[in-house]
Amino acid sequence: MQRSQLDRRTLLAAAGLAGVTVFSARAHGFVKLSPVLGAQAAGRTLVLLQLSGGNDGLDTVVPFGDDAYRRARPTLGLKKNEVLALDDYRGFHGALKQLRKHYDAGRVALVEGVGYPEPIRSHFRSYDVWHTADIRGRDAGDGWVGRLCDAAFKEEQNPNLVVHIGGNVPYALHSTSHPPASFVNPRAYRWAGGAAETEAYEQAGGMQPERDEKKPKKRAGESSLDFLRRVLADGQSSSEQVRRAVAAYRTPIEYPTNDALSQSLADVAALVNGGIGSRVISVEMGGFDTHTDERNRHDQLMRTLDAALGPFLDDLGRSEAGRDTLVLMFSEFGRRVAENGARGTDHGVAGPMFAFGHGLKGGLYGQHPSLEKLDDGDLVHSTDFRSVYATAIQRCFGVKPEKVLGAKYPLLAFA
Amino acid sequence: MLNTPFLLALLSFAVSAQAVPPQAEPKLEESAPEVERIWSARNVEHLYNRAGFGARPAEVEYALRQRPAAFVKQLLEGFAPTSDPLFIDIPAMPERREFEEREEFEKAQNRFRAEERRVLTSFAGWWFDQMVEAKHPLQERMVLFWHGYFTSSTRDVKRTAAMVAQNELFRRHALGNFSELAHAIVRDPAMLEYLDNNENRKDRPNENLARELMELFTLGEGNYTEFDIKEGARALTGWRTTDDKTGSYFQPRNHDTGAKTILGKTARFDADGFVDLLLAQPACPRWVARKLITHFEGVEPDEARLAEYASFLVEKRWELKPFFTKLFLDPRFYRDSVRAERISSPVEYLVGATRRLGITVPPQILWLGAGQLGQRLFDPPSVKGWEGGEAWITTSTLLGRGNMAGMLIGVVKLEDVLREDPLEVEPEGEMMGGDMMGGDSMPDSGAKDAKKAGKRKADLGAEMGGLQRMTNEMYFPRINLTARMQRAKIAGDRQIVDTLADELLPVPLSETSRAALLAFLRTERSALSLEDGRLLAAGVKSEDVLRRLAHLILSLPEAQLG
Repeated sequence: MQRSQLDRRTLLAAAGLAGVTVFSARAHGFVKLSPVLGAQAAGRTLVLLQLSGGNDGLDTVVPFGDDAYRRARPTLGLKKNEVLALDDYRGFHGALKQLRKHYDAGRVALVEGVGYPEPIRSHFRSYDVWHTADIRGRDAGDGWVGRLCDAAFKEEQNPNLVVHIGGNVPYALHSTSHPPASFVNPRAYRWAGGAAETEAYEQAGGMQPERDEKKPKKRAGESSLDFLRRVLADGQSSSEQVRRAVAAYRTPIEYPTNDALSQSLADVAALVNGGIGSRVISVEMGGFDTHTDERNRHDQLMRTLDAALGPFLDDLGRSEAGRDTLVLMFSEFGRRVAENGARGTDHGVAGPMFAFGHGLKGGLYGQHPSLEKLDDGDLVHSTDFRSVYATAIQRCFGVKPEKVLGAKYPLLAFA
Repeated sequence: MLNTPFLLALLSFAVSAQAVPPQAEPKLEESAPEVERIWSARNVEHLYNRAGFGARPAEVEYALRQRPAAFVKQLLEGFAPTSDPLFIDIPAMPERREFEEREEFEKAQNRFRAEERRVLTSFAGWWFDQMVEAKHPLQERMVLFWHGYFTSSTRDVKRTAAMVAQNELFRRHALGNFSELAHAIVRDPAMLEYLDNNENRKDRPNENLARELMELFTLGEGNYTEFDIKEGARALTGWRTTDDKTGSYFQPRNHDTGAKTILGKTARFDADGFVDLLLAQPACPRWVARKLITHFEGVEPDEARLAEYASFLVEKRWELKPFFTKLFLDPRFYRDSVRAERISSPVEYLVGATRRLGITVPPQILWLGAGQLGQRLFDPPSVKGWEGGEAWITTSTLLGRGNMAGMLIGVVKLEDVLREDPLEVEPEGEMMGGDMMGGDSMPDSGAKDAKKAGKRKADLGAEMGGLQRMTNEMYFPRINLTARMQRAKIAGDRQIVDTLADELLPVPLSETSRAALLAFLRTERSALSLEDGRLLAAGVKSEDVLRRLAHLILSLPEAQLG
């Protein structure tokens, strides 16, 4: 009995590894079959980093050279010596030391004044706009990554194509045809049972010898039971690939061990380098809703962010897959220009958006919103966030952005 | 599935059928000869699966002793008086003017939000209790259905009292009259807030409620125009919530009293007039009948059947009880494709598993668990509700369902899912076999890696972590599968597999799965050096094997149906 179990595990291992090969072979085939896409579409990964709660853009990229800034933020405002100046006008929050280093190395594209027309100040509804890339929010249908998959990966059915690391899957990844794999911790992405149970579990899934690579959706004529067996088999191989990628990943880069975002980004690096066909990976950092005590809270948030993103970008620089990865960082809105009476700031609208990566043209994009020409106390956006999406879509996936976003948006020059 | 012999069922039928005096032209509610002929354990359980949240063996036996029509009547009325409604302590929303300092106001707001969450959690727990207790399972099933049909979400409504009031509205009308419910929903505070009718004013109409009322609640796309939406929105102007969202009222000065042309009819429509107009459209009964049949059968009805049920709804003036009587006494409801095809929702899955296992679970665990698996009550993903069907199933949620069941049975701890990952202890991704999987004897280098990994990321995230803490602190699986087997005088592997699968699965066990379960028992028995038929003799070790078998059964593809 023990003997045959051993054999079975070995067999499964072989199958798991074969699965990896199949997926990457498919990815290459995809590029070859679609010459129009060009070489730059080969296997680039997009990482989405969501700062939840409404990041205070003016406390991230600080317009320290603007008198209006100091007037609007009498107690919260940072002084020149508290920021990492990029020029005479603006500078990174003083805690963003590693990001500054990456900026100097040309790995940070800072897009200023990003937003959308008729901005919404509710967290959830504004997220819906960002997640669907549509002012109608969820009424518009799937999330924008779901629509991206429909356009770029119509036939692909790798369950690890889209991955969310974290508790709540953002609606951006919502898709009926390409649902994301999601887990708080990739090490826990598995069916938990002992050896004998696992063997029986896999046997019940049928472990179909020739699983064809079509659709997670139910096929015409397929019974629900067969559909479930297929997903079970997919789940076993997908979870094994993810855990194998994470377990096998070795890096000399040290990530902080006491922080969830750092750990998630370390896992993202493992997946990027794991060759398991993950093309969109999403992570989230919360806590940005700084209505009160912003000085302390936002300082801490910036320290955490810098401590996580610094090593992550270093790590990405170590491999081709990493250097081909583009990271977008966004928040559902910026905050109001004037501080409130509780040494915090309330929900606002426009804010900066960041793109990180080793293959992009770093620098300043968009334009810093005026602190004097406000709309009801709020910054006015100059760049639509969908321009940033469009640029990323073009760069990473080689599909026409308007096929995903429903309209043409001017591309930015960072990619 | 209960394997009560078919013959016995038929026999008891024949007897009870004879006891009833013959009648001239019996009404549908009193006699359903076609369903009487197929009133088997399999079909009875199918009915429990769909009209409730699964059946315990005694419940199947109970139903088999009834005539179908009598049983369906009980389903519609409930088996026992339902629990008293929960008193909800509505926290007052703090207002800025009550506080001198802004900081104090913010603190009061935080307290208010925490209290709101606490009340919502208690109410959700109460709701789960109703589903598990199943005193009136069809009513609970319909409350859940309406929650996904006339959707509102606490994310947008942001007022627990309004979400609770909406749930109570669904409960009152669960099996009532669709027309009454449709009229009530356009003045329901949560709905008015969720679909922005507070912003729908004479001088500046907001189309949101009018649009969804036509698209999702009554007609379906293609049965109205954008112009109808604009005009419909005018009819709904003036209905708004109170400032604290706990009530609603009609504000005449914001209502557009002018003539509107909707769906070709011109009149001074108000909200009720608009709803009546929608209900009078031929598309409306078709839409409602399609939604109901598809929900309960898991497959779309064909055109003839849809037409039949749609006109029946109109004939019965939107009363739902006759509709369900007809549906549950329709032999087509019991056809193979209907019985086998429906994938249960996370709530149905967890409540069903809890009921079939016969365990008591703190309801908040079920609430959080279902949320993790994709069905967070009071927070549907969009106005369209939950998509349902195969969309419930992804690799993550399917593995997750099994883990959640393992947690209920007590053989899986969520933190162990993390800690005992067999792959984590392998050096450099090299595949190992055998006892590596047990996790007991790790080679030194591997153990070090695993320890490092544990330190690196021991947390499961706020929600999963909360769920695990709650489970550790509040939950002990009171379950004794050994005693259950012994009581049934069962000992051999085959009997154990068949009996446990019968009790725990909503549908029959497939041969593929059966072979897998038997192989598992064989392996476990030989590890304990026990002959077939002697498994139950090993005390706590046999119980452990049975529990792991139960975990396996609830992780099977079959367990996701129902």
